[in-house]
Amino acid sequence: MDGVVQLQKQLVDYIASLFHEGFLDEQFNQLQQLQDESNPDFVVEVVSLFFEDSERLLNELAKALEQKTIDFRKVDAHVHQFKGSSSSIGAHRVQKVCIAFRNYCEEQNVEGCLKCLQQVKHEYSLVRNKLETLFQLEKQIIAAGGSLPAT
Amino acid sequence: MADETHPGSCECSPTRSTPMGTPLRKVLDRISGFATPWRSSSALRGRRIFHRDVEREEFQYAATRCLSSYYSVFVARLAIMVMLAILIGLLTILTWHFTKIYTTKSLNSLAYGLRNELLQRPILRMWNILNSTSEITTAQVKLSEYVFRRYNKPDTQAEQVELYESMRDVTWALFASRKALNAITINYRNGFVQAFHRDHRSNNTFYIYSDLVNYSISASGSSYEINSLSSQQGWKDQSIHGNISAVWYQEPLDPITGEKTGKAKPIPPDDLINIAGLSEVPDGVASWHVAVSKYTDTPLLSAALPVWDPSNESIVAVVGVTTALYSVGQLMKELVEVHSGHIYLTSQEGYLLATSTNAPLLRNSTQGPKLMRAIDSDDEVIQMGATWLQRAYGNNFSQSHEVHAENARLGHEQYYIDSFFLKLKRLPLVGVIIIPRKNIMGKVDERAFKTLVILISASLCILFIGCICILILTNGVSKEMKLRAELISHLDARRRAEASSNYKSQFLANMSHELRTPMAAVIGLLDILICDDCLTNEQYATVTQIRKCSTALLRLLNNILDLSKVESGKLVLEDAEFDLGRELEGLVDMFSVQCINHNVETVLDLSDNMPKLVRGDSARVVQIFANLISNSLKFTSSGHVIIRGWCENSSSSIDIEKFPLDHKKSQPAHKIKFKQQGSHTKKACKKENKMILRFEVDDTGCGIDPSKWESVFESFEQADPSTTRTHGGTGLGLCIVRTLVNKMGGEIKVAKKDGPGTLMQLYLLLNAPADGTEQHYRVDFSKHSLVVLLALHGRMGRLIMSQWLHKSGVFTMEASEWNELTQILREFFCIRRSARNNGFDAQHSLSEPLNTQVLSIQDMRNPVFVIVVDIGLLDLSTDIWKEQINFLDIYFGKAKFAWMLNHDTSNAIKMELRRKGHILMVNMPLYKAKMIHILEAVIKERNVELQKKSSNALRTTKESNLHEYHEIDTTHFDVASSDDSDMPEMRSSNSICGSLDGEKRRERITKPCSSGYQNINNCLVELTRVYSKENYLTERDPCQVGHNSHDVQNEEPKCCTQASLSAEPQSENADCREQHLVSSCPTAQGNLYSSKAMNEQKSLEGLRILLAEDTPVLQRVATIMLEKMGATVIAVGDGLQAVDALNCKLSAEACERDCVCEDRNTRLQTENRDFPLYDLILMDCQMPKMDGYEATKIIRKSEAGTGLHTPIVALTAHAMSSDEAKCLEVGMDAYLTKPINYKLMVSTILSLTTRTAYVKRELTNQ
Repeated sequence: MDGVVQLQKQLVDYIASLFHEGFLDEQFNQLQQLQDESNPDFVVEVVSLFFEDSERLLNELAKALEQKTIDFRKVDAHVHQFKGSSSSIGAHRVQKVCIAFRNYCEEQNVEGCLKCLQQVKHEYSLVRNKLETLFQLEKQIIAAGGSLPAT
Repeated sequence: MADETHPGSCECSPTRSTPMGTPLRKVLDRISGFATPWRSSSALRGRRIFHRDVEREEFQYAATRCLSSYYSVFVARLAIMVMLAILIGLLTILTWHFTKIYTTKSLNSLAYGLRNELLQRPILRMWNILNSTSEITTAQVKLSEYVFRRYNKPDTQAEQVELYESMRDVTWALFASRKALNAITINYRNGFVQAFHRDHRSNNTFYIYSDLVNYSISASGSSYEINSLSSQQGWKDQSIHGNISAVWYQEPLDPITGEKTGKAKPIPPDDLINIAGLSEVPDGVASWHVAVSKYTDTPLLSAALPVWDPSNESIVAVVGVTTALYSVGQLMKELVEVHSGHIYLTSQEGYLLATSTNAPLLRNSTQGPKLMRAIDSDDEVIQMGATWLQRAYGNNFSQSHEVHAENARLGHEQYYIDSFFLKLKRLPLVGVIIIPRKNIMGKVDERAFKTLVILISASLCILFIGCICILILTNGVSKEMKLRAELISHLDARRRAEASSNYKSQFLANMSHELRTPMAAVIGLLDILICDDCLTNEQYATVTQIRKCSTALLRLLNNILDLSKVESGKLVLEDAEFDLGRELEGLVDMFSVQCINHNVETVLDLSDNMPKLVRGDSARVVQIFANLISNSLKFTSSGHVIIRGWCENSSSSIDIEKFPLDHKKSQPAHKIKFKQQGSHTKKACKKENKMILRFEVDDTGCGIDPSKWESVFESFEQADPSTTRTHGGTGLGLCIVRTLVNKMGGEIKVAKKDGPGTLMQLYLLLNAPADGTEQHYRVDFSKHSLVVLLALHGRMGRLIMSQWLHKSGVFTMEASEWNELTQILREFFCIRRSARNNGFDAQHSLSEPLNTQVLSIQDMRNPVFVIVVDIGLLDLSTDIWKEQINFLDIYFGKAKFAWMLNHDTSNAIKMELRRKGHILMVNMPLYKAKMIHILEAVIKERNVELQKKSSNALRTTKESNLHEYHEIDTTHFDVASSDDSDMPEMRSSNSICGSLDGEKRRERITKPCSSGYQNINNCLVELTRVYSKENYLTERDPCQVGHNSHDVQNEEPKCCTQASLSAEPQSENADCREQHLVSSCPTAQGNLYSSKAMNEQKSLEGLRILLAEDTPVLQRVATIMLEKMGATVIAVGDGLQAVDALNCKLSAEACERDCVCEDRNTRLQTENRDFPLYDLILMDCQMPKMDGYEATKIIRKSEAGTGLHTPIVALTAHAMSSDEAKCLEVGMDAYLTKPINYKLMVSTILSLTTRTAYVKRELTNQ
């Protein structure tokens, strides 16, 4: 039981650190609140949806920016979508970069776009790692027979 | 301040500095003030050195400006004056010149003519005289020659005598013919002399002849011939002077006939007259000379001509004619008499011949009289004139010289001097006329002088007057300039003052705004605390109290904000329907808390004709009364505060009837005045559907001094400054009240009052409600045969209440203290009991008024007794109150008790009362509405009692509910009256509730007070229905019912929010809870700010929502969110799909329904074709294939003909307002931003779908 408590504590701390470092924001809390008996894996489901969608979008973006004549409208649409989905799960830092990305898009600044793409990729992978760790922790707790601490 | 420091003008300042200022001094000062402006300014500066710097600066600024303006005025003044002077001078000179010059010239010429004429006439006369003399002489000579020829060479004495005789005759004839002649002489060669002489003075005529004896013809004849020429001188000398021995005879003659009238007497020769001798005609031609004779004082003109012998070789005789110049002088005198002046004639040598004066012309010398020179004349004027002439022109006049001198100054006078030269052979004459200038020009000169004087004085006068006029006129101008300068500086000052006042207002507004925010937080937190169900009753009461105080404080802040708002003219009154009576009751409730502490009674006395609903700004109306009441309370330490109100819409007779009785008695005159004042507005009001509501706030406080009646309405003004210390306050309240009242078209004033205290009278113009149906408070209980015993502490409240009850057909009795109450109770009930048996006996023991009442009550069948007991009547200090309550138990079955509780009545008492079964408890201020509740409750209870005999459980329900309802009221009012922002929401939620609910519910919710008790019964009746509904819901939504059935109800008290305060935390039994459920459900649905937990369960249930969102994450999140609230969500990936989903449904509805059922949800229950498939569409704006805007456009297009309107809510990450505009433009109904805000989404959806959802639900219920 000690281990579970330890794990639970660790999870709380971890989530707190994520919030503190700005990876996540209030939206994530809301997401967690939506999770209940009827949708027990709601957060995981949504987040994995986000991951899938993000992979796709990032690929699209990378492709779009590799073109000789860049269709900024398309890029903008992708980034917009990316921003929407990231804000929906509360990936705050991704969302912020997306905003900058969109600004560059509007300016049609290729350099900036490419830089932002790298940043977005970076942030995305960061948040993905963090979230995966988070889920891992949760899984461990559940496996250990504990319940997730109420957020 | 401004007056004192204001500079005035420089012209005033010097005079100010010299207090004793005679006008002259003033003028001098003024002038010196101009000349040395620096002096005055420096003096001013010196004087003002004591003032503050700012003032001084201001002043100097204004002073210099003033000075400069004054300078310009003064310069203009001077210039105008100088110009005027020049103009007038020129005019004067010109006038003078023209009049003078022309007159003078014409007069001069006239005068010249006159002088010429004057002089000409004596000269002509002279000329005539000379001529006639000459003629006579010539004639004499001719006649003599004739006589001589005839008697040529007389040889004998006889012949000689004969010659002489004839000569004498001839000469006489001539002499007689010429009266003017002085003498004619004939001097013969031999020395014989014949002469006629006329003495003008004696008017005698004489014949003078020499003695013949001495002359021998021969002797003389011989020598005569020889030395005819050479010895002529000798001849004469011999004959005249030599013959001294010769004797002449003078013979007087008759002047007319020539007859001898007297004897000849001898006279010495030459004694009388000059006899012209030969010496005078030396060359044989006529000679002229002026002679003098000793017999006349005038010079004589004598002419001599020789008489030649016939051979014309020698002179035989000399004829001399002498004429007196006397007549010339006479003429001159005549002339001078007419024309004045002096005329004289002189010979060329300057001897006077004739003058116009009487001065002697001859000078007596030793050798006889001699001629006088003009310069030696005795007449001064002539002498001076001659001297002047001599001086001016020398002694010798040139021959043809004529002198016309116009301005000869002789002596002291001016004269005209003219001289004419008369050229006669051998006797040239000079005529001189001297006329004093004043004789001719005298009048003219005088006139001219007078004219000049008048002109000059007139012009001086004009100049003077003109200058004064200019001074006066420019004085006005300068005054105006001064005023203008003053005005400018005043404006400046005013602008500054306004600016500072603006700053102040702004500061106040800002400050109060800043303070409002934390206050709002405090109140909000208190509300949350109130909702908390773990509070004890005491805590609850305390928190409520705190909340009330907080709202009061907030109100104060709002006051300040209001004042600044009103001052800046930004206050806009809203126009909404509200229940005036309820607002005022709420106010009284609120203030009664303070009242009771103060031992002051607050009484609300609204006339029955007060309309129930009026249109206006309820918050402001409440504010007015809150201020007035709090003001009254502040200054009233004991007694009462009465708020009277009545409507002036109805006729005046009703007015009087409705008017509170005591007031009617005490102030009839005042009332009439008040009415007249309002009467003119009344007509206008009728047209505009407005009514005049009159109010009075009457207190028994310290009162206001009549002199302050006006000024108390000024801001920061208090009747007595000392009260600030004791009562506090800012003095803003009444100011706000007045501005608000004025803004509502009313007036407020302090009226005269007989007793102590203050009477505020005001009237408001409020709109009647739009629907026009006037609801009044009028009730009639007469048919219920009620008897009310008012056992109330407050006298006024009791009085008014009993009067009103009486009018409503209720019998009342009054008791003011416990003993009285018990007495009445005891006697009354005893008597009633006994009266049935023996009415007469009982009546004896009763007091007289009670007696009659009892009598009338006895007449009633089955009366209902209501005893309203003030808790204050009980002795609460000790435990006696329990005994007292116990005592009342006796009457419990016989009468209904209604307890008036104080706000601070302890729970123990409440509990005890409740335990005893006293269920009717209301809080203290008893006003009509509460009374109506009580009575209605009693009536209902009786009815219920009649129906249901067993009512124990019911009673507890009633008790709690009743209490609860009053609590609801007060809380509601607090919210409404204190917090502006809350109120409309409350109202809207209420009205939404009303519209959602059925007819019954509307009634219940909008009029919870008036039908509170009825409500409870309704609730009971409704319970079954509610249950059935619940059941239905359960059937419909098994999943949700799981939450609904129990958990929800447990959670419910927690979920009560600020807005849904109507929820009573202390639910005691299931019935009550059920009722809550019913009542709070619609509230929550209608309320935008309803809490999460409540909405979570049921807010969106039964809604079908189409979600168009391309991002899978968002799609999922939103779906879950919506589903959690019971909505059915159909998610599509883009706009095209969304449109398809809708179109599908429209084209093939049935199939679509199945498909949808399969697709997502099996819980679809609607069979109704009238409703659209989806209650709402959530539309992302940016989607692939077809974006949200496009999709919306298409959907709206397809809907066009069907009359359907599916609400579409935009979801967008764009947070710009332009996006919102774009969304609304294409036909969307609302707008949500990503990330989705849970609450906002719910409220938005609800606001768009409530109607449809509700109707749907109702339909499904059926």
